[in-house]
Amino acid sequence: MILVLCTVLFVSACSSTPKDATTQPAATKDKEVTFLFNFASQTIDPHQDYTPLRAGVTETLVKLGEDLQIEPWLAEKWDTTDGQHWTFEIKKNVTFQDGRALDAEAVKQSLERAIKVNPGVEQVLNIKEMSASGQTLNITTEQPFPQFPSELVHPNASILDVNAADPDKTPVGTGPFKVTSFTAGSSLKVERYDEYWGGAAKLSRASFNFNEDASARLSALMSGDADIVYRPPTESLETMKSDSTLHLESVTSLRTHELIFNTNQPEFKDKYMRKAFDALVNREELKDVIMGGQATLATGPFMPGFSFIPSYEVKTTGTEAALAWFEKAGYQVEQGKVSKNGKPLSLKLVTYTSRAEFPLFAQVLQAQAKEIGIQITIEFVDNYEDYLLTKDDWDLGTYSPLIAPRGDASYFLNVAFKPDGTLNFGKINDLQLNKWIDQLDQMVDTDKRNELIEKILMHIDEETYYSYLVHPNTLVVYKDRVKNWVTSKSEYYMLTNQLDVE
Amino acid sequence: MNKLLKRSIEFILFILLLSFISFVFVKLAPGDAVREILRSDDVAVSSSQMEKQREALGLNDPVLVQYGQWLGRLVRLDLGTSYMTNRPVTEELLDKLPATLLLTCTSLLVLIVIAIPLGTLSALYPNRVIDRFSRLLAVLGTSVPSFWLGLLLIEGFSVRTHLFPSMGTGSIAHLVLPSLTLGLTMAAVYVRLIRSSLLESLGQDFVRGARSRGIGGSSVLLRHAFRHALTPVVTMFGVSIGSLLGGTVVIEVLFAYPGMGKFIVDAIQSRDYPVIQGYMVLMGLIVTIIHMLVDLLNDVLNPEIRLKGER
Repeated sequence: MILVLCTVLFVSACSSTPKDATTQPAATKDKEVTFLFNFASQTIDPHQDYTPLRAGVTETLVKLGEDLQIEPWLAEKWDTTDGQHWTFEIKKNVTFQDGRALDAEAVKQSLERAIKVNPGVEQVLNIKEMSASGQTLNITTEQPFPQFPSELVHPNASILDVNAADPDKTPVGTGPFKVTSFTAGSSLKVERYDEYWGGAAKLSRASFNFNEDASARLSALMSGDADIVYRPPTESLETMKSDSTLHLESVTSLRTHELIFNTNQPEFKDKYMRKAFDALVNREELKDVIMGGQATLATGPFMPGFSFIPSYEVKTTGTEAALAWFEKAGYQVEQGKVSKNGKPLSLKLVTYTSRAEFPLFAQVLQAQAKEIGIQITIEFVDNYEDYLLTKDDWDLGTYSPLIAPRGDASYFLNVAFKPDGTLNFGKINDLQLNKWIDQLDQMVDTDKRNELIEKILMHIDEETYYSYLVHPNTLVVYKDRVKNWVTSKSEYYMLTNQLDVE
Repeated sequence: MNKLLKRSIEFILFILLLSFISFVFVKLAPGDAVREILRSDDVAVSSSQMEKQREALGLNDPVLVQYGQWLGRLVRLDLGTSYMTNRPVTEELLDKLPATLLLTCTSLLVLIVIAIPLGTLSALYPNRVIDRFSRLLAVLGTSVPSFWLGLLLIEGFSVRTHLFPSMGTGSIAHLVLPSLTLGLTMAAVYVRLIRSSLLESLGQDFVRGARSRGIGGSSVLLRHAFRHALTPVVTMFGVSIGSLLGGTVVIEVLFAYPGMGKFIVDAIQSRDYPVIQGYMVLMGLIVTIIHMLVDLLNDVLNPEIRLKGER
């Protein structure tokens, strides 16, 4: 043991650690930051992975602003007359990190490569043909596709210099940082690109590291191995808050935790039964007790802030309200217990463990239901999405979809409500809803789109196809010396040219 | 020559059997690679588009047909392309293998440095302080989860004393904490194994005979008793190398160490069939070679085994 400790001390003395860099005096011009993210990337091909965009290596034609509106980025402006034929003006004076000028042809080549290597991008962009001339890029989509600019926000639609070698290890983009090295599953190191069109970054270098264990991420912050930590452990909130050298930020994310009803089950075909459970779930307990306050109560699928959110009616919740809905659904309520034809109700709730709050939420709901005579069995399922879509032996489920990753409502409405949508776990087939979503997919005028989305959301609310619970917050903790950090709602933009350290 | 030919045939059959079983089991398991390929959690794809992609990848073909196609490519040394990264599986695995091998070697070094002296002293001085200490270490080592030990080491050597980095790679210092975590946990088992094996050897006739011939204590220990005692240790060593190569996932996650364990777990979760199959073959190859080396080493350490085998 003594021998081991001696070896340990010897090796320690002989080696240098990244701490030297991260704890540099702020007065020097050579500023560096270490960012620690919670998912590991095995590749940094921008057309396969989100990290190059997050690390400020690549950029997209348009971006999602913090006000959830899309903004020009590499594209200065865009236009369409019919929602199918698009013209994009590419910003002038933009260069790739190898010095090559960005023009429409380079953008076209990049989008062609993205479509070729990533079938998901092919689906999301739906491009039929492209032509480039100078800084003008003409794009025709397969069919009218009014939300096309929003879809270009997707990180895998990043613009990449396709002529540069080895895009999966050293991609060349137009962002403020260029790649110096990448170790799959461990770290990406970048340095400032001095000719960045938006102004050279304030930082000289940055490390974009990965660690999937929340406790280890916090330890890295405490030990000086990291300056900014994404999603630290929520159980250590008080420790972080009490440390005056740390800054904690909690921002509503674009996800929504939801309770799913299997509308193929006879019980949940009835909207009053769905409303009963919607009234029974205790959102406040989920938010405050289970999630430590790191969430925002949901009134519908989309978080407040989108321009199309309707004025939802305030609902009465709690056991009494739930019992009233059960009665309306044809159940007998006697002495606070629910039954049908003298028999108690027995349901199966399925969930998964990768979101720590869901098993606890399921248990709370189980206990609440038990109080009113409803038996709920809980089952944890692997390959959860496939199970929900292919099996019908469940009644209730939990899920946390990304609601509007690119700012437009079409994505979520299509995947969650159309009969062959890949997130339509409730197996919803509402003819009126299908018709409206089809209309929305063809509608170009923004005001009319918002009007229709509002109508759709009110209909979904009335039918209560899902019970929307909370929007989980994104938690970021960083050292006080870090300046200009912005916790992006979309989780797309992390290292920027404005990020700085003292 | 005959032995080599026999071993080669055994090896090929083993790899075939292993690859077939793993292929069938992975295919039978629920889950869908297409969901990952199309990034269906944030791309508006429909079920019919997913079905089209499934068809294009041949995932709807019978399992035997898919296995036959995979085997045909394997013969041409082509392990296919990863669904996750779009890179050749061979490149992906060979990229990650050195880091895993390095961590395996340093962990084994920690194990040897702790287990051999402690196990030997424990056998030489049974029921004395050193023996009691080794027993305590054995109990602690086997009962403390390696993940927790790792967190303790991070707290002690990284957060509080800033001696070692808590994660990542790049220098020898980065290897210290993960190697200690793995090595210390395994050393506990080996200390007890060496102790009991050495105690048994010391009680054997050939040791007593050597002593009666006037051979010195250290010579008896090293040339006779220890050599005999190492046979079960070396055999178990082979098993440990195999488990280190394939089973260090938790430690890789904790220390953000870019080895193969985490990579293969991600591949399993996303049903990246080419990577899973490639990994099985590579691991089968490495583990078989290790076991052959262990056999060889046992022959050298204990000629009696070789003689029995030749009878």
